[in-house]
Amino acid sequence: MTTAETRTVTTAGGESRQAPAVDSVVTQTVAPGIAPAPEGTGIRGIRAVLDAGLLGGVATASGIALTATSGWLIVRASERPVILLLMTAIVAVRTFGMARPVFRYWERLRSHDVALTDLADRRTTAYARLIPLTPARLGRRGRADLLTGVVDDLSDVVDAQVRVTVPILSTIVASVLAVIVAALLSPSAGLVVAAMAIVTAAIFVLGWQLETRSQQTLLAARAEVARVTALVAGNASELQAIGAEGQAQSWLVTAHADLRWAAGRQSHGRAAAAGLLLLLTAAGTIAMTAAILPGVGTTISAPVAALLVLMPIALGDAFSTLPDAMRALARSRASAVRLHAMLDQQPAVRATGVLSLDTQTDTPSGMPSRLLVTDLTAAWAGTASDVGPLDLEVQRGQHLAITGPNGCGKSTLLAVLARHLDPTGGGYRLGNHDALQLELGQARQVFAVLDDEPHLFASTLRANLQLARPVTTDPELIEAMTSAGLGRWFADLAQGLDTVIGSGGRGVSGGERARLGLARCLVSERPVLLLDEPVAHLDHTTAEAVLGDLTRSTTGRSVIMVSHRPDGLAGFDRVIDLSSPQASGHGECG
Amino acid sequence: MRPFDPRLLTQVPATRRPVVALGAIGVVQGLATIGLAFALTNLVVAVVEGREVVTPGSWLVGLFTVRALLAVANELVGSWAGLRVSTVLRERLIAAWMERDADSRPEAGRAQALATQGMTSIEPYVARYLPALVSGAFLPLLAIGTLLLVDWPSALIVALTVPLLPVFAALIGHTTEKSTQRRWQSLSALSGHFLDVMRGLPTLSSYGRAEAQVETIATVSRRHRLATMQTLRLAFMSAAALELLATISVALVAVTVGIRLANGAMPLDTAMLAILLAPEAYWPIRRVGAEFHAAADGAVAIGDVINELAPTTPTVPTVTHSRPNTADRAFSPVQDAEMRDPRCSVVVEGVTYGYPGAATDVLSHLSLELPIGLTVVTGPSGAGKSTLLELLAGLRRPSAGTVTAPRSHLVTQRPFLASGTVRDNLTLGNDSTDDELWDMLREVGLEGMVAAFEQGLDTRLGDDGFGLSAGQRARLTLARAALSNAPMVLLDEPTAHLDEESAALAHHMIQRLAALRTVVAVTHRPELLTLADKHVQLVLHPTTALAEVSS
Repeated sequence: MTTAETRTVTTAGGESRQAPAVDSVVTQTVAPGIAPAPEGTGIRGIRAVLDAGLLGGVATASGIALTATSGWLIVRASERPVILLLMTAIVAVRTFGMARPVFRYWERLRSHDVALTDLADRRTTAYARLIPLTPARLGRRGRADLLTGVVDDLSDVVDAQVRVTVPILSTIVASVLAVIVAALLSPSAGLVVAAMAIVTAAIFVLGWQLETRSQQTLLAARAEVARVTALVAGNASELQAIGAEGQAQSWLVTAHADLRWAAGRQSHGRAAAAGLLLLLTAAGTIAMTAAILPGVGTTISAPVAALLVLMPIALGDAFSTLPDAMRALARSRASAVRLHAMLDQQPAVRATGVLSLDTQTDTPSGMPSRLLVTDLTAAWAGTASDVGPLDLEVQRGQHLAITGPNGCGKSTLLAVLARHLDPTGGGYRLGNHDALQLELGQARQVFAVLDDEPHLFASTLRANLQLARPVTTDPELIEAMTSAGLGRWFADLAQGLDTVIGSGGRGVSGGERARLGLARCLVSERPVLLLDEPVAHLDHTTAEAVLGDLTRSTTGRSVIMVSHRPDGLAGFDRVIDLSSPQASGHGECG
Repeated sequence: MRPFDPRLLTQVPATRRPVVALGAIGVVQGLATIGLAFALTNLVVAVVEGREVVTPGSWLVGLFTVRALLAVANELVGSWAGLRVSTVLRERLIAAWMERDADSRPEAGRAQALATQGMTSIEPYVARYLPALVSGAFLPLLAIGTLLLVDWPSALIVALTVPLLPVFAALIGHTTEKSTQRRWQSLSALSGHFLDVMRGLPTLSSYGRAEAQVETIATVSRRHRLATMQTLRLAFMSAAALELLATISVALVAVTVGIRLANGAMPLDTAMLAILLAPEAYWPIRRVGAEFHAAADGAVAIGDVINELAPTTPTVPTVTHSRPNTADRAFSPVQDAEMRDPRCSVVVEGVTYGYPGAATDVLSHLSLELPIGLTVVTGPSGAGKSTLLELLAGLRRPSAGTVTAPRSHLVTQRPFLASGTVRDNLTLGNDSTDDELWDMLREVGLEGMVAAFEQGLDTRLGDDGFGLSAGQRARLTLARAALSNAPMVLLDEPTAHLDEESAALAHHMIQRLAALRTVVAVTHRPELLTLADKHVQLVLHPTTALAEVSS
């Protein structure tokens, strides 16, 4: 009686992190930076969703009709009419029986196709909209994980079409058909079916509210379990070394207890909906019996009576997929809210500059490398991490380290210098130009930025390095790697520059990853290196070694590094502590 | 991969209750469903034949109420059981790993994947797939059994056609296995592309190459859609085929029932019951197939975790107490066991260790006795100094020989610091009071720093908090070592990154520790060497000898 229909997830295959990207990211030629106009599901998409809903409605209605007409047929047959009189009903039953799987198949194809088309559009659009927000609006740490969240949220939102919109449309279509048929047979029966449909809608809303209520708590609890588990599983030896095994396990037990509580709370929604829908089916059947009983034998024939009594049961079956839709709706709504909050941000820079760099009068490599900052102030909108007013001058080839505790504005300063964030006041000159008047792309080309999570694309080593400057030759790439301290590592690679790295490829250690990021900076030949805690996640010995190679290989280039650790700065010409009042002219920690 | 691995219940008894509870609900649901078919039949027949409807109506309401309660229980118990099984297994897994040496654990990445996503994927397996499996196994039998009592010809038809479903499903799966496999691979590659580009967006953006990817994403997404649709078409087609098969089978029952009914060879209630019962034999089997898709990862994870929890058969010889042969003993500083210092609680005898897969041993036939006091270990890099500490701490197991040592606290070169408060980090491995913490901070010279924090011991450290310098970290972890009550303290380069002043403070601290405990320090610092009660100098393999200078 119950037909559990579980649908295949929209993104079959999932977003496997292990999967290598098919296209090498950098083999594509540079296309003009035209982002497509943001468009969600267009008119075509809406029509396709409606089509799918209609097809699903026919499938669901066929299921209901199959049960109901079978009842009619059996009762009619028991009246022993001429067999020919039964033929119409037999054909009808057979048709409904065939129609259900066929239309279901058709609906699934249609709904998944439109969802995947929509997913493709949304992915392209979301990516294009994220470009101007990168990196300043993606937070300070864990940008890659944040972006993974965007990928998952996009899938959830699109998934809702298949798991929510189409089932709800199908249910509505089937309910309307059922009401019409029932009303034609007996007006009071029509009323009963209509009432059932309305109460079902109310149950759906109630269950959805219950699910949504605990959605956030549950997500947070899941994230905490994942964090603690990864921490403990990844540091087993370190925890054993200090005898903290017991404590580590108690963290997990605590996180699990929170998760169980949150999940238990969320399951109330589904439980209530599933239970109430069955009670509704019982109530519907009794109401239908009561409604038609006076007319049986007079206005309502016996076979029709059987058909009508069976109808609420068949409807209840059709409604049994709704709790799944309810949960998917709660999830996709939360995803949509997160996506909007992320994508609707204002870019942190106004790209109003028009001047281009004068390659003749600036440095030999064609770009300025002298920075002058006067009275500079900056702020992230809505956050308190301000910087300045600050004066700073960096000559060509100078290596400068900026330290200070978290929250004192180091990263803000770096973002302003890299032209990722507009200053709120003061002046910023690049060579002989006002940096803010320069065309944004040109100004940014002065800087190679390296943070503590340089991404390695699932592609060849060559492609990963060439993305910094596509015209680089193989010997130049190898030279850059050697300077970055990867000479021995590279020599061990059997496939040389064709070695596939990144997810699914050859694994690299944290130190190697930082060095590959450095090699990429060197390949770019950009005159100023901005380093944002590049060794924050490396152990001390490796960190020292990487910083050593870094200072050696960047002789002649300007380097500005921010670090919240006050050590490992031996190779730097100048160290500014932003937390001390004498940091610069009158700069102070904000 | 098996649909259900009974080892789960035998090896992890805590999973029995949730699984049994779900199974019981499934069985009772099956009984209620069959009962409902009777109640519904009686109601319809009563309506049609104008008989009294209150009795069958009451039965129907009662049974539906039972089913509603069972549905509520199924959701609540399913959610509880899924989490219960997955969290118990995760806790067991972590506990098992915490008891093992480094070489008997999977490497960190694999361990993390199994403990996080792996265990999470068990939730839907238990919450949805297991109930489907129970009703898939139970309800068809129940339906056929009931039909047998009600109308044996219908029972025969159902019994003959029901097995076609799994056979048919297996047949479809078998013939499409290869192409499906191939498609899934290209699919995961295509969907992985977007994730890769998104995660790399900051990098692309900083080299001005982000815009160039917009077109690529559009192209790859289109290919992803086409490839997905090919895979899905096949999946939907086989689902539709199975449903059609079930429908035809039910129709077969209906036709024979109809003919007998029309011939007056069968009463109405029997006929009605037969056509209501017949579908109950088919849909549970189709549901198993439908749920399996979402549960496959969980089934694999359960297999993995059971293998991981199984008592390990050690690949290295167990720690033996046999004495090494005399030729090796020549290198040993200890000439005779009888001459052992009774204060020596730490004894290393003929220990050999090689990393798994490595051709040569890092340490070979090493024998040592370590008394209470400071032992300093020196030697060139690669001589196995850190490995020796790990062997003493029990983090690794020797390939041969024995290590007898008490509980220890090892400060590695990269000691564990959680992103928590100062207090959280200091009390890892001990349960000291705040007063004790402050005393210890004073001893290592960090009292001033922590006192200057607005939140004192509650100040957060790490990425989101205060960034410690290498020297501050070293002193903090040394303080933690001193707070532990382990009789043996092992220190790997404790003062390598410290300036002279901090190093002197730390050395003083180490000396004080060594007054009461066995302290073993690996160091390059000559100052620490002068404080040593015992000096162990390791040399590089293959000589693998041990020169010892006792001061």
